[in-house]
Amino acid sequence: MILQRLDTIRKIEVVIIVALAIVLLIVPHVAGTATVTMVSRIMIFAVFAMSYDILRGYVGVIHLGYALFIGGGAYFVGILFTQFGVGIPMLLLAVVGTSVYSAIWALIVGKISGKSGMIATAMITMAFAEIMRSLMTSWFTVTRGADGLPFRVPPPFNDRTMMFYASFIFMVIMAFLLYKFTKSPTGRVWQAVRENEQRAIFLGYNTNRARTIALLVASVVGGLSGVMFGLLNRFVNTDLLDMQMTINAMLYSLIGGTGTLFGAILGSALVVYFQNLLLDLRGVHFIFERWLLFIGALYIVVVMFMPRGIMGFYYDWKDKRAQKKRLLQEAKLPPQLNDEA
Amino acid sequence: MRNMKHESLFKLAVIFLGNIILRTEGLSIEFGALKAVNNVSLSIKADKFTAILGPNGAGKTTFFNLVSGLYKPSAGKVFFKDKDVTGYTPQQRIHAGMGRSFQLTNVFPALSAHENVRLSVQSAAKVKFTKLFKSYTRYTDIFEETDRILKRILLHDKADVRAGNLTHGEQRKLELGMVLAQKPEVLLLDEPTAGMSIEEVPIMIDLLKSIKDTGETTIVLIEHKMNMVKALSDVIVVLANGELLCEGDPETVSNDPAVMAAYLGGGVVHVAT
Ligand SMILES: Nc1ncnc2c1ncn2[C@@H]1O[C@H](COP(=O)(O)OP(=O)(O)O)[C@@H](O)[C@H]1O
Ligand SMILES: [Mg+2]
Repeated sequence: MILQRLDTIRKIEVVIIVALAIVLLIVPHVAGTATVTMVSRIMIFAVFAMSYDILRGYVGVIHLGYALFIGGGAYFVGILFTQFGVGIPMLLLAVVGTSVYSAIWALIVGKISGKSGMIATAMITMAFAEIMRSLMTSWFTVTRGADGLPFRVPPPFNDRTMMFYASFIFMVIMAFLLYKFTKSPTGRVWQAVRENEQRAIFLGYNTNRARTIALLVASVVGGLSGVMFGLLNRFVNTDLLDMQMTINAMLYSLIGGTGTLFGAILGSALVVYFQNLLLDLRGVHFIFERWLLFIGALYIVVVMFMPRGIMGFYYDWKDKRAQKKRLLQEAKLPPQLNDEA
Repeated sequence: MRNMKHESLFKLAVIFLGNIILRTEGLSIEFGALKAVNNVSLSIKADKFTAILGPNGAGKTTFFNLVSGLYKPSAGKVFFKDKDVTGYTPQQRIHAGMGRSFQLTNVFPALSAHENVRLSVQSAAKVKFTKLFKSYTRYTDIFEETDRILKRILLHDKADVRAGNLTHGEQRKLELGMVLAQKPEVLLLDEPTAGMSIEEVPIMIDLLKSIKDTGETTIVLIEHKMNMVKALSDVIVVLANGELLCEGDPETVSNDPAVMAAYLGGGVVHVAT
């Protein structure tokens, strides 16, 4: 199978991406508030899932406490706004606080994953999120626990259209940054660590450092998606620190295609849209309240027909086409040219 | 006391008589009751092709695992260019100039052959992890070096193929290319022809010869069949049951009765050609 050609983005792909971006930018002018909010949520969750994919799909860390970041970011916004006042300075403080908080978790998890294996890391990170959740539950006077914390947000984020554009810009910047990182020399080492860590070590790489850098990148971006989600949702409760949030990130990137980065955007769009559809259908029949059941079915269908997710399916198709082309070319060459000079 | 004096005199003699690049001193490791490597003291001369021979289970791979830092020895020391590297991590040993390949093919199966080699070149080039914003394709020198190595290991036309889809023999060559990319001063090769087809073996042997002839690196090669390495080696070392059995030039070693016994005992009958 041919791989190098995958690294080059084709013209048609650029056209599709630009067309999709234009369609997205028109949404707030033609759709109702509910749709605008839903698409905003998709874009923010897409960033959350893309950052998760850096860990799961690129460097090969299974982080089961990933809710720590979306929950953490949203709590920073919620607590700062309710305790110290709503405003841009507090928002900036939330961004800085979330980044530091996420980076600290990244360093802790980096240490653990360097010492213990993948499974132990998965279990311990799950426990971390649970601890954070019970902390936020017990800090009731400030967080109001599971009841949650409603808050106002400063302009321009209090306007749905502006919030939509903010989410769009956020997604574009983060997608671009994460893409850049995966195409950097370090990003290539992440894949080597995922594929065969022992071999990466014997190429001379400090794999623990490479993994910690991936954790830093992913955790901080994940945390920032939490800040954005806080701004959009204007409400935070302990559900945001629940395992369900981690499962969501996992689901979005799996359906979109693990290790494909942009797949997470597709996965997030598909699942969130599907969820909303099911919620709307609640009135039709009570079975639609069991939305998780349907998401599970969607997941099974996608994985059955596209085991590597939507983007993975597309890449495999591209792979096969390039291979066919190569075989055709080889057939045309006189045999001695195929020999090594 | 007397003994120690003798030992240091001996060491001195060794240092002056030949340029020792790699040396082990009483290297040992046990797995439970099994003494897989037992008190092995060995000196590898630079610019000499050394083959470590021994029947399956003799402890050859384990010896490499100790030298390369994958395992920690229970006793003994490893010296590289007269520096004690026993406490070094595998990465530190690599960057010091010790490269190794693996007996069981050990590549990145989902990455292209090109990328497998390129990653190795990148590591040798010591590109910093903080270079997050620069595309890896912009390191043209790394790409050029990668192409050079792919040509050298005769995999240039397979550059774009996923390593996992290469034939076994091609994967062995790739593995060799990945070690070569590190420009090691000493090259530890663990049965580079293991599992290769009859047609592929001579290609690998020729490849090894050409590497030897460049004189850029000292090759230490593990093999379990004598006939494979007899023509190629300057020095043959025989391991059996974790112990150093004998050491010398190919002719002497292959006629050594103890070696014959070990080989017949180990069930390998490929002695003398
Ligand atoms: N990690 C390990 N744990 C337990 N036993 C091992 C391990 N590695 C090697 N051995 C044992 O040590 C002995 C030597 O193995 P090895 O070095 O692979 O032999 P060789 O490479 O000479 O064929 C064998 O009996 C093998 O089963
Ligand atoms: Mg072996």
